Amino acid sequence: MYDGSYIPIFPEGASTFAGHVDLLYAYLIVVSVVFTIPIVMAIFAFSVMYREKEKFATPEEIHGSMVLETVWSFIPFVVSMTIFIGGALVYFEQYTPPEDGMEVYVVGKQWMWKIQHPTGQREINELHVPVNTNVKLTMTTEDVLHSFYVPAFRTKADVVPGRYTYLWFNATTPGKYHLFCAEYCGLNHSGMIGWVYVMSQEEYAAWLSGNTSGQTPVEMGKDLFETKLGCASCHAGGPAQRGAKLEGIFNTDVKLVGGATVKADENYIRNSILNPASQVVEGFQPIMPTFKGQVTEEQLNALVAYIKSLSPSAAASTGSSTAASNMAADKPAANTAANSAAKTPAANTSANKQPAKATKQ
Amino acid sequence: METAAAIHTGSNSSPKLNYLTNGSTLRSWLLTKDHKRIAIMYLITVSVFFLMGGLYAATIRLELLTPASDLLQTATYNKVFTQHGILMIFFFLIPSIPAILGNFLLPLMIGAKDLALPRINLLSLYIYWIAGILALIGLMEGGVDTGWTFYAPYSTTFSNSYVMLVGLGIFINGFSSILTGLNFIVTIHTMRAPGMTWFRLPLFVWAHYAVSLVMVLGTPVVAITILLMAVERVAHVGIFDPAIGGDPILYQHLFWFYSHPAVYIMVLPGMGVVSELIANFSRKRIFGYEFVAFSSIAIAVFGFLVWGHHMFVSGQSVYAGLVFSFLTMVVAVPSAIKMFNWTATLYKGSISFDTPMLYGLAFMGLFLIGGLTGLFLGAIGLTVHLTDTYFVVAHFHYVMVGGQVIAYLGGIHYWWPKITGKMYSEFWSKVSAMLVFVGFNLTFFPQFILGYLGMPRRYAAYPEELQVLNIFSTAGASVLGVGLVMPVGYLIHSLFFGKEAGDNPWLLPGLEWRTSSPPPTENFEVMPVVTWEAYDFGEESGLDIEGARQGETRPATVV
Amino acid sequence: MSTHTHDHSHHRGLQHQFDNMGQQEESVSIGMWLFLAQEIMFFGGMFTAYLVYRSRFPMAFAAGSNHLDVVMGFVNTLVLIVSSLTMALTVYYAQKSNRTMQVVMIVLTMIFGATFLGVKAVEYTDKYNHGLVPVSGLNKRIPADEHAAPGGHDAKPEPGSPAVAEEHSNPRGEFQWHEYEIIEHTIAKQKADPNGHYLTAAEKVGYMSDPATLTLDKDKFRDKVRIFYFIYFMMTGLHALHMIIGLGLMLWLGWKAFKGTFNADYYMPVEMSGLYWHFVDIVWIFLFPLLYLLGRHFLHELGK
Repeated sequence: MYDGSYIPIFPEGASTFAGHVDLLYAYLIVVSVVFTIPIVMAIFAFSVMYREKEKFATPEEIHGSMVLETVWSFIPFVVSMTIFIGGALVYFEQYTPPEDGMEVYVVGKQWMWKIQHPTGQREINELHVPVNTNVKLTMTTEDVLHSFYVPAFRTKADVVPGRYTYLWFNATTPGKYHLFCAEYCGLNHSGMIGWVYVMSQEEYAAWLSGNTSGQTPVEMGKDLFETKLGCASCHAGGPAQRGAKLEGIFNTDVKLVGGATVKADENYIRNSILNPASQVVEGFQPIMPTFKGQVTEEQLNALVAYIKSLSPSAAASTGSSTAASNMAADKPAANTAANSAAKTPAANTSANKQPAKATKQ
Repeated sequence: METAAAIHTGSNSSPKLNYLTNGSTLRSWLLTKDHKRIAIMYLITVSVFFLMGGLYAATIRLELLTPASDLLQTATYNKVFTQHGILMIFFFLIPSIPAILGNFLLPLMIGAKDLALPRINLLSLYIYWIAGILALIGLMEGGVDTGWTFYAPYSTTFSNSYVMLVGLGIFINGFSSILTGLNFIVTIHTMRAPGMTWFRLPLFVWAHYAVSLVMVLGTPVVAITILLMAVERVAHVGIFDPAIGGDPILYQHLFWFYSHPAVYIMVLPGMGVVSELIANFSRKRIFGYEFVAFSSIAIAVFGFLVWGHHMFVSGQSVYAGLVFSFLTMVVAVPSAIKMFNWTATLYKGSISFDTPMLYGLAFMGLFLIGGLTGLFLGAIGLTVHLTDTYFVVAHFHYVMVGGQVIAYLGGIHYWWPKITGKMYSEFWSKVSAMLVFVGFNLTFFPQFILGYLGMPRRYAAYPEELQVLNIFSTAGASVLGVGLVMPVGYLIHSLFFGKEAGDNPWLLPGLEWRTSSPPPTENFEVMPVVTWEAYDFGEESGLDIEGARQGETRPATVV
Repeated sequence: MSTHTHDHSHHRGLQHQFDNMGQQEESVSIGMWLFLAQEIMFFGGMFTAYLVYRSRFPMAFAAGSNHLDVVMGFVNTLVLIVSSLTMALTVYYAQKSNRTMQVVMIVLTMIFGATFLGVKAVEYTDKYNHGLVPVSGLNKRIPADEHAAPGGHDAKPEPGSPAVAEEHSNPRGEFQWHEYEIIEHTIAKQKADPNGHYLTAAEKVGYMSDPATLTLDKDKFRDKVRIFYFIYFMMTGLHALHMIIGLGLMLWLGWKAFKGTFNADYYMPVEMSGLYWHFVDIVWIFLFPLLYLLGRHFLHELGK
């Protein structure tokens, strides 16, 4: 955070074209100085040299000079054309997204930025991206005009209701950069700000899987269950309980609507998350939404681990990842079991001890 | 018709009736057809709006002293910057020079008794008053918070403020502008004195001709835009609402089609004033007179073609962006031509540094920076980063305040002796000019830096690392504020205690200086016949230079 | 524009700021032309909106246009053209110092102008009755349990008329649109010939619930037709407002003509009023084809 030790004069550049924008800026400053200094010097010099020596003097009549007029029409025109061309070149770079690239979806709304990664990760007012990767934003807004602006990347684009607008960048330096809304949008326009986090590839992968804090799978699963995915809102007991109580469910037999009975093993849990309508427990309504596309393999493993940890016999089972995971899970199975065992009493205290009743809508 | 006799600089000692003393009832003012009285009434109203807009500006800068939104609630801040913009743009900048100085001086400069259509002129004033009252009522009822640009869909669907009332005020104000422009064009065509050919006209007149074209042709478009916005707001027909097939970008195109030429409405008359200041205080014809004259027309024409440069990141197509960027570069060239011509005018002149000249020189420097930073914003790759940041705010304040307001003040000071017959204190006017110049630069130069750093505009709160620059800016604003308020003091003081100015205190050739100060109602006792070129400071134009040197003295210049 | 060669410096119509009538007349003339130029810019904004939306949604515009009464629009066009004739004759008779005929012509002009407004009133009322006013609540409310038995209407609907709409209830006075034959026909053609240009890019998305299969979403189509009607009302409404102002101008002019103010030496106000009247006429000449004559060929295609 800002510690007050310096006054910023020039922003850092952190994208592939930031340097080009800065170069154009420098060129324009040079042009401005080259025009300003002679004119200002001339004004001063003439003011001194030709200050009035005698009241009501009649200086020599000078009507003009075609040569001078031509010169100082032509040169500014040429210079302005070079500026146009420079601007156009940089603009093409900024507004021509590359063919490949990580697609991110952005929705602006009063007064927040909602961001969604292709893997399902959602963020609010924050955008995590890997370094040196083309990132393409497809953006729109739910209400009024906003504008997605990252000064460090030197790019911005308005978001318009009813259509998509686009932005792209390739971040060159890891770090944390301001994100602003740059189109007045009402009350909290100046609060519609956030951060873009540029991370190394590994850190990004870790972040994407949710494992940014070195959590164990059970810890991560609990975090997902209780907070990030909102499972607890239906499954954690209390008056809103609409889903089956999950404590002690693992590896027991479950009766489904339609008469079948299945074992609540890892596959069952995984399927309940991805395709809940296919196996509704008897006595419950088929109202659970699917989380397909919204959870990564890593997160699925974590959820399975957590739900297993809610059963006392979990320690004995040899639960392991039910599907090959692209993101290598660091924790060995034994560790998981040990953690689960240790966590079980704690997990149970937070669960509803009353038997789950069938609840009607 | 007889030639105007050689004019001394002597004061008008016999107490003849002038336009100020010719009828002193309220009725004689409110129902006047005299362009000079109408100009005075505009002066008073415009000054009131300027001071109100200035109070809003002070509030903005006070809030921005700290990074958090702590002085005002954000909702209030949003109204403050919106209303600052609306009052300054529609009720101060657009009328100021044309309605005050243009109205007063145009007939005098061309040797006419009045404008061509005096009753239309009075109607313009009434419309301005009605519009202003409606806007003020809207402000007092609770104000608007949409930004002066009223972008859809915020203004049409989401804002809960008094958009309709204030929008109505702006809509009606447009007609005042249109009628003024119409009047000027007709007057310049048909009311010139014998011998006053187009190329003998002062450049002030050329500038007003150009600006009148823009006022007449551009303002109706903003009128229809506001009408559409109002209908959309009331009836939700969907013209700007994508949910029912409309397009919010259409609003921006229609709005900026007027609002870009509007900035030329604001600055062209200022350039006209500056031409007068530079020429008259160097006692030299403007270098390249025809080029300066035609560049005004060129700016007016090209100004209609560049509106899309306000929309580079709006979602308009890449190709449209390129076209508008190209044309924006083209429209910069006539302004550059003027700048060079003004500078060349100083060469081998006889330059005196009275207050009006100080303002003229200040305009040159500040408009140079303002105009050059316009090139920054026209370079489309750069503007993607800079648009909607404080860089834009700094740019337009350089051209609007550093340009137009400085020119306006220069004009008021220059023609004050002619308008009132009195001279103000040269000492205090110079102090005020210095304060304005220094304060202005300190206020707005840091904003260029803030803009490149990425501080967006219309923000009540900002990242704390930007605070120091904002403090500089507010400090400058306080100096600027003092400098801008001071003229109210010493100018009013001069009305009661100022020296008699005399008909032609600086012995200048313009027709406005060849009648008494203040002029009689019919402008000239003997209608002039012009046989000399514009800015002819020699004796061929009828100036009695020797007599002036031997006899009268000019008001003392104290530096 | 006529010219004057003799000096009228003491003409009773001369205003104080002018030296002679020639200067006054030239000033007034330039002033009026400038005023008309800015009126063109004013209408121009609406023409721009028309241009944008018609180029995006031509089928919706055609459909909307088909429900305007061409006959009434054509009658109005004729009425205005004849009124311009009578207006020109007014100027002629003023130049001829013929007081009687001046007044006659002005009265005739006013009658035609009023006829125009009357026809417009009939048209607007018709739109009100059929739920074609694009503002919710400004259409005739038909309570839900009442089906309008067309007691006073034709049993057989006119080609292209929204007779079907009468059968629909409209309890809140909303915009009603129930005619989808033409657009469905066009969508079918587009589906049959995917490379053909029967629909614009905007239409392929804007009318459809599923752009991939070109499935018509009736509500979305109705919304675009609503935009057509908004532009129709806005443009003809602004035009009608200018016509009303024109009638007021004629009233004033008629009074002055009756008093004998205008003659061969002084008829500028008549000429200027004539300019205004012709301008209002010309705007209608543009409005009529752009609003009324779109998409008529579809009706023939469908054999109506």
